[in-house]
Amino acid sequence: MKLINKLTLFITLSKLVIVLLFVGLLPKLVHEAAARFTDNSLREQQKKVVREVAQRGIDFYLQGEDSYGSYTLLKEEYISLEPGTRPSALPADTIETAMRIVEGDTLNYRVLTHTITYQGKPYILEIGKQESVINRFSRPLQKIALSVLIALVIITILADLIYTRFLLKPLGVIIRSKLVNTQFPFTEKMSLVKTSTSDFQYLDQSLTTLMEKIHRDFEKEREFTSNASHELMTPITILQNRMENLLSEGKLEDEAFLRVEGMMKTLNRLKQIVRSLLLISRIENDQYTKKDIVKIRELLNDVIEELHHRLEGKGLSLSLALSSSMQLSQVNRDLLFQLFYNIINNAIRYNKDNGRITISDSYILGGKYLITISDTGIGIPVNEIASIFERFRKSAHSTEESHGLGLSIVKSIADYHGITLQVRSTPGEGSQFDIVFPWQLVKE
Amino acid sequence: MRVLIVEDERSMALEMEAFLKNASYLCDLAFTARQGLKQMEESAYDFILLDLGLPDKDGLEVLQQAKKCCPEASYIILTARGDLEDRIKGLDLGADDYLPKPFSLLELLSRIQAITRRKSGWKDSVMELGEFLFDMRHRRIMFGKEEVPLSKKEFDLLHYLVLHKNRPLTRLQLSEHIWGSFSDDDYDSNYIDVHIKNIRKKLSAFASAEWLQTIRGIGYKIKAVD
Repeated sequence: MKLINKLTLFITLSKLVIVLLFVGLLPKLVHEAAARFTDNSLREQQKKVVREVAQRGIDFYLQGEDSYGSYTLLKEEYISLEPGTRPSALPADTIETAMRIVEGDTLNYRVLTHTITYQGKPYILEIGKQESVINRFSRPLQKIALSVLIALVIITILADLIYTRFLLKPLGVIIRSKLVNTQFPFTEKMSLVKTSTSDFQYLDQSLTTLMEKIHRDFEKEREFTSNASHELMTPITILQNRMENLLSEGKLEDEAFLRVEGMMKTLNRLKQIVRSLLLISRIENDQYTKKDIVKIRELLNDVIEELHHRLEGKGLSLSLALSSSMQLSQVNRDLLFQLFYNIINNAIRYNKDNGRITISDSYILGGKYLITISDTGIGIPVNEIASIFERFRKSAHSTEESHGLGLSIVKSIADYHGITLQVRSTPGEGSQFDIVFPWQLVKE
Repeated sequence: MRVLIVEDERSMALEMEAFLKNASYLCDLAFTARQGLKQMEESAYDFILLDLGLPDKDGLEVLQQAKKCCPEASYIILTARGDLEDRIKGLDLGADDYLPKPFSLLELLSRIQAITRRKSGWKDSVMELGEFLFDMRHRRIMFGKEEVPLSKKEFDLLHYLVLHKNRPLTRLQLSEHIWGSFSDDDYDSNYIDVHIKNIRKKLSAFASAEWLQTIRGIGYKIKAVD
């Protein structure tokens, strides 16, 4: 999961927990607040009564009667003052929720009971407030509180998301500019990504340093290849030219001439080996561009034309049966030519006289494209199949001139393009090479 | 024809000189870029063979400078680096051809001749071979008004023999010219025989081609009057 998504999820969930907690607690809180408020107002009223009694005497309320009682029109509030009977059992001073019967209606009240002593006689004062009145506003209050909370939570979530997005933006830039969109070798000069977050600066700095190091090492490697090739190729050239001069000056006896020619042949083998190793090393060092668009039929026809003499020499028949006019893009034509050249050349070399080579194609799952090259040759022994792409591999059937690099070159070229190779063989009957092109290269 | 060879490997320069002298070219040698540029200022050359890996100066830079002082000369770049980039840059800077090391001296000579022919407006590009006419410019061989139907490879092979006429070429030299660009892991010069057989068959449908000779045990030669 992406970091930004994780953060979003966390922010949303944590806010959700807060909302739920609040929703759970809200009724209790509102109820509590209302109760406290009611209690306070009851006390106020009690103080007022006590003050009145102190100033104007108990008769201000009793008016000569034994007791006094009054309630509002809707029985929302009432007040009563009664003489206390048994002083020891008197309730001292309480506020509680209790039932009272007013005019035949049994109602729930919040009742304050207070004992007033007037001229040595106790009187019990009761002030009540109807519970339904107290809780009348609790529901709308809860609703308002909840909507305000939800609005606030949404605003904070949005603010959090925008900010985290902004905060994480440099990370995306670093990944895109430093890792995804750069291609080895990193020839472009890296510029640092602008950010005030020191962690990202550190990451960016480390990546840049690492890539510069890789680049330097790669350059060294490339330089080595270049130097090594120069150092190897120059003496080979000198030898070759010297022998050529010997041959062309016409001063040699026949015997010596043949010997020099034999030397040239040996030198030629050395030259081919060095060239092949250099080719592999250049492919592995990414020194070839992959920008060509290749029509597969044309390419194969060119390869076959190039090898025509060998086919003819062995009396082989070759059938090229392509089902489509496929094109490959983002490839290197010369390298693909070499790949097919080497495989078909092997199919010729290890074929029987008057044998057959078949080249066919098909589309396989996932938009991949498959070319199959099969021959009727001597085949590859089971225990050798796994190692045929190894460098300097030589089978018992290899010809004397073979240096065992042909299929290594094929493998390097295939790896370089993301092409998969599969080999099947029945010794004595023939071999089959499957060359699978990934869909990225396939262009209809 | 005057040729300047700018090459830091002395023995290689000497071999080139020996070969080209044998082919009637006048050769001067320079082993450093400085020496080479100095010689270019002092005398006029038809050909300058320039090694890109000189010790005292970047080869491409030398080429740029040389082109300024000797714009008339033809340039062939020699390099062991074999980078495609060098080749493109070199040709962009005005080199006429490019030869990656190791190269064969015969190849060098045929490139020189090809440039000469092209620059001279294809003078002497048609050659008489017995009753046939070998036309290098249009890449064909004619018998009277009829063209002998040779394949591309067959023509190349014959062309190479014609360029080095009166000189026996080994199968190896011929196949290196025809297939040399591939890092093929084997190498069978016997295929040259197949090609020659085919060429002979096609030619003899018109007239005898005794000028195409087999040198027993060695290779082939075209016999022609200079």
